[in-house]
Amino acid sequence: MPTETINKPQPLYTPFVRARDSVWEIMSDVLLALVPCAAMSYFAYGEAPFLVMFVAVISAVLAEFVFAAFFLNKKDTLKDGSAIVTAILLSFTLAPFTPWYVVAFGAAMAVIFGKILWGGLGRNILNPALVGREFMTVFFPAIMTSGSIWYNKDYLNFKELSVFNIFGDSGLITYLNSLFFKSSGAIGEYSVIFLVLGGVYLLLRRRISWHIPFALLVTFFILLQVFAYKDIRFSVGGLLLGTIFMATDMPSSASTKNGKLYYGAMIGLVAILCLLNDVRHEYMSYSILLVNAFVVPINWAFKPVTWGKKANIKSLIKWVTLITAGIVAATYALIYLHHVDCVRYLVFAYIIFLICRFCFMTMKDIEYPKSN
Amino acid sequence: MHIFSMKRDTKKKSIEKIDNAPLLYLSLSQHIGKPAEPVVAIGEQVKKYQIIAQGAGVMSANIHAPVSGIIQSIGKHPQAEGSMTDMIVLANDFRYEELVLPSDDVAGLTPEQIIALIKDAGIVGEGGAQFPTHIKYTLQGHKIDTFIINGTECEPYLTADYILMKEYTSQLFEGITIVNKILNASRIVLSIEEQNKDLLDVFRPFLAKTEYNHIQVKVLPNQYPQGGELQLIKSVTGKVLPRGVLPRDEGIIVSNAGTVYAVYKAVAERKPLTERIVTISGEESKRIGNLEVAIGTPISHILQSQGLSGIPDEDIVVLGGPMMGKNVVDTSAPVTKGSSGVLLFRKKEIKRNNCISCGYCVDVCPMHLMPMKFEENYRKEKYSQLEKYSLSLCIECAACEYICPSDVPLIESIKKGKQKQREINN
Repeated sequence: MPTETINKPQPLYTPFVRARDSVWEIMSDVLLALVPCAAMSYFAYGEAPFLVMFVAVISAVLAEFVFAAFFLNKKDTLKDGSAIVTAILLSFTLAPFTPWYVVAFGAAMAVIFGKILWGGLGRNILNPALVGREFMTVFFPAIMTSGSIWYNKDYLNFKELSVFNIFGDSGLITYLNSLFFKSSGAIGEYSVIFLVLGGVYLLLRRRISWHIPFALLVTFFILLQVFAYKDIRFSVGGLLLGTIFMATDMPSSASTKNGKLYYGAMIGLVAILCLLNDVRHEYMSYSILLVNAFVVPINWAFKPVTWGKKANIKSLIKWVTLITAGIVAATYALIYLHHVDCVRYLVFAYIIFLICRFCFMTMKDIEYPKSN
Repeated sequence: MHIFSMKRDTKKKSIEKIDNAPLLYLSLSQHIGKPAEPVVAIGEQVKKYQIIAQGAGVMSANIHAPVSGIIQSIGKHPQAEGSMTDMIVLANDFRYEELVLPSDDVAGLTPEQIIALIKDAGIVGEGGAQFPTHIKYTLQGHKIDTFIINGTECEPYLTADYILMKEYTSQLFEGITIVNKILNASRIVLSIEEQNKDLLDVFRPFLAKTEYNHIQVKVLPNQYPQGGELQLIKSVTGKVLPRGVLPRDEGIIVSNAGTVYAVYKAVAERKPLTERIVTISGEESKRIGNLEVAIGTPISHILQSQGLSGIPDEDIVVLGGPMMGKNVVDTSAPVTKGSSGVLLFRKKEIKRNNCISCGYCVDVCPMHLMPMKFEENYRKEKYSQLEKYSLSLCIECAACEYICPSDVPLIESIKKGKQKQREINN
């Protein structure tokens, strides 16, 4: 009799039908949303931005293939397309003339320290593209802060495009023209209109929800009004790139509706605090990465109110107070480190932490969920 | 959550009967509660409709012979998903000798008499939960405001309730009247789904009659899981009942359309529950339709009616719906009072991936849980964390895993997690 029980087939678990969707489909939607912005970079600097994107993709894909096979014992991770998305998003935050070896370094670090050492896609708590960017700033400070990587007159195709001039010539038209295209900033920031269209596409495809961008932008612009007497300068393109494509990154953002609202609002708050304290270029990546680190408690605090239960307002207030205090304190600590030029030690600590964490991981933390 | 329908083809198929199987397997556990106790001996000749097992204890229900024949054996037999349970094996003699059924006037029956007839007939909820209906209708002094007849068959492919409402309409409406003699509900709501709106034309002549014109038909959106009891109560009455509270205590009774039909048969025709409608469908099904089959019919017999001698290697068979049904590993297992479909699907290798925290499962969970946390905590063996995310509230509707782009094993983690909880609590 015992042999019979052993040989018996195990029943499969429900459901027996599934929605037609996959991680690859999500990633290809993101890529599709990014294509118009990538195309616009040609009008600015021709092949140069494409070279950056190309190098980033090659480097990220190679790093993913080698390190996923080596550390995670998985050879199929390229299929999900996340390495390509990370690489493109990273290059969108970079200057068009960033040297290729710096780009290659950043893209590889984004994949290795942003994703693989956490245990692979989905297990990371920080946005991989922004992790890669911070690594570049820390390890190549002179290059990353030089003005020459941002502008090269010889390569400039168009300084501006007057596409809206058929409707006349006024201040508003000039402004619309600049929203459609301007030739300054990082690779992904040339066209605000296409960034927004990409966001709308992702919203319609339900790859992002409105909660994070809405809360982030509302908080950001309200605080901007509050501090209107201070002369805060920021790039709309950079803000929207971060809001639409970085803050909404699935693994590193909050998962519940109210959690997303709070998470978005906190990024808006941290970004303004950074801007108020003279963090000129890194404010978007700092604010997103910093609030990323608080997503676990945010998800816990904003658990949905389960069916038939009443919301526990007291506990919510307690948690929100604690988390907000933690975020504000961390923000000021980060701003301080930034001004004494010590953010690199934070990155070093992150590297050591992640390597130690990885050493203590078991196969169970790494391999795909199993099923019979 | 919106889910694909796949009902179009079987909706057009009238109720068919197939020849009865030579052997019928009547499980003694076709209800929650204790197994019924056999009241027949091996070798005994029984007639169709004869009681063969008596409900034992409160939550139990009687079992009747669906055909005439000889009791071949009583003992362990596999259920659809492979686990063994006690069943009575009845060898069909194909003589169809029926018990002479007493007939009586329905109008003169008291509520107590109707409940007694329902109890005798062994009726349990046909939506899947198999809760004994006579217990549900025992009000213990509670006043019922709303009686909901659940015609929202929200699982894809299934049309058993639809076809019953379409073809047995007069019996259904008569059944509603009979049940409401017990319940005395001021509001009677028959709920159907948007995709079955064509039933409104079928119902119209009945609703025009004075005896039925107080019955309200409510068309609900095509949502999964709309047919879940708590979700349905909310859609109809607006009330959010916590899980574990008996709807009766809140003045609400929900019965499946098939159950109400069974009540009609039990009270008006004095026939016990020995047959039910089963939808035959699925992408790999050779024949599709709605069969009225004897309870106890082995699944293999239904497959044979499609020309299949067993489960084809490249297919899987599901008893019930594709979202909450059971994967059939043993085709000698029978159709029970709660089986609504026998579906054939292509076997697919499911590639599991890491959760990417997209939150889709959180968005679709009807109980407002965070299903991804069950997988995470089960995988990390943090079993005590499971209840912090209210695992016990999960109704296992599988909407979360249906929508999951990473095909994370959510339902497996949930079921195994509940098992762990039971082990820890014991």
